[in-house]
Amino acid sequence: MIELFHIWKQYQKPYWALSDVTLRINDGDFYFITGPSGSGKTTLLKTIFREILPTEGQILIHGVNILKVPDHRIYTLRRRMGIVFQDFRLMFHRTVFDNVAVPLQVIGVGRKEIRRRVFATLQKVNLHQKMWELPGRLSYGEQQRVAIARAVVNNPEIILADEPTGNLDPELAFEIVTLFKEFNKQGATVIIGSHDRELIRHFGDNILFLQKGHIVGKEAHA
Amino acid sequence: MIEKLKFFLRVTGNNLWQFRTRNLFSVTIICLSFLTVGIFLSLANNLRATARELSSNMSIAFYLDVKAAPETVEAIRQEIGRASFVDGIKLVSPDEALERFRSSFPELADIVAGLKTNPFPPALEVRVSARASASKEVVAFVQGMRKRPGITDVLFNQDWVEKMQAFSRLAGAVGAFLGGILILTSFFIISNVVKLNVFARKNEIEILRMVGGTNLFIRIPFWLEGITLGLLGSLLSLALLFLVISVFPVYLGTSLGALQELLRFRYPGLTQAVALLGGGAATGFIGSATSVSKFLKV
Repeated sequence: MIELFHIWKQYQKPYWALSDVTLRINDGDFYFITGPSGSGKTTLLKTIFREILPTEGQILIHGVNILKVPDHRIYTLRRRMGIVFQDFRLMFHRTVFDNVAVPLQVIGVGRKEIRRRVFATLQKVNLHQKMWELPGRLSYGEQQRVAIARAVVNNPEIILADEPTGNLDPELAFEIVTLFKEFNKQGATVIIGSHDRELIRHFGDNILFLQKGHIVGKEAHA
Repeated sequence: MIEKLKFFLRVTGNNLWQFRTRNLFSVTIICLSFLTVGIFLSLANNLRATARELSSNMSIAFYLDVKAAPETVEAIRQEIGRASFVDGIKLVSPDEALERFRSSFPELADIVAGLKTNPFPPALEVRVSARASASKEVVAFVQGMRKRPGITDVLFNQDWVEKMQAFSRLAGAVGAFLGGILILTSFFIISNVVKLNVFARKNEIEILRMVGGTNLFIRIPFWLEGITLGLLGSLLSLALLFLVISVFPVYLGTSLGALQELLRFRYPGLTQAVALLGGGAATGFIGSATSVSKFLKV
């Protein structure tokens, strides 16, 4: 369970990127965070991922206050999460295989097991045929799927995705979110930041509406 | 553990290859720095060894007055014989001295043949025990004997020994100074090369952090990179040093005469070779570790 209590975040005075955000996301939820550009979607996701620290408030993940976790122990938290950024953040001089294998390499999984799991994950995102390609030779949608494969290869408890369908055509966007939905069915809690109303309408079990850092609405359809 | 080690080695290899031009540059600088240290080390080795040889074969020649009575010579001989450091005394007559000169310098036979009188004075040659060589006791004794009637001159190779030792110390100090500066340069170069590599791989480091890589996991490939650069540089310098030592005498031939013996480089010993390699690895490690901890905020 992810619990956010009165989260405030200020990058620069007098603007608040997040204002008193309190939220509870249960295990296995499929959650959309939506709102216009600058509403605080990315800030909220980065706060949960502890890439940035809130100015005020508390975040508990399975009862652990992640803001109290020292910097040198933050990897313990990150290993339980998978994150997909809008800009993918791929290593362009490494193959698709190498990119997807990284989360397994950092925890010391053996080479054979890495091969098996990376191949299985790439099969799920339908990229196993391009395992030895460099990401630069793939299309935008394929690169996005590499980033998703990297986020899920480790079977994380929580998957965070920031605008994973931004700049994708509707058909491809639909395909990508379907993938997330499948990982959610396998038990992962999925939180997606998106402003794509069509997708949210179709897939959104739980929706959080943000505007100028404030929660302006919540919907639960599940 | 083995998997992780293999992974680190693979990543290090990839990174070294990816930035091969700048890595080659730093290996060259390290190599030249350590080669300089090695050359001076070898020179100091040689001077030290020569000084040791000289002091172990130390002898003193007391040149006697040609007019000295046999009793005086005998008294001097007995006086010298009483000194604790004396291993043996030999009286060398002028004829014997001339004969030695003839056999030592056959090319000067014409000059010797033209001599009307024997210019060599009689001498007492004293062998000094290796234990006491160049000791203060010997020096004081020799100085005392210089003033003794019946002795015209004293030839004591202690001066040479002292000069050799001083040269050896000087070569060591120059080597240490130049080497120190150059190694410091290598250190900064490695540090900067690793810094550039850190910047070039910022994105990758970010990804490693994102997927739960520990600080150590992120740093180890950079450390290994520094160590490899340092080791490669020092290994290359050692190979070049052996080459220089092998080629040097052939190149210079005998044109240096007696100086050739002094400048003859000796191969570094195993300890020195290991120290050079260790120094290279340490320079690389410290250079990269400083850079990584300074510029990699993990």
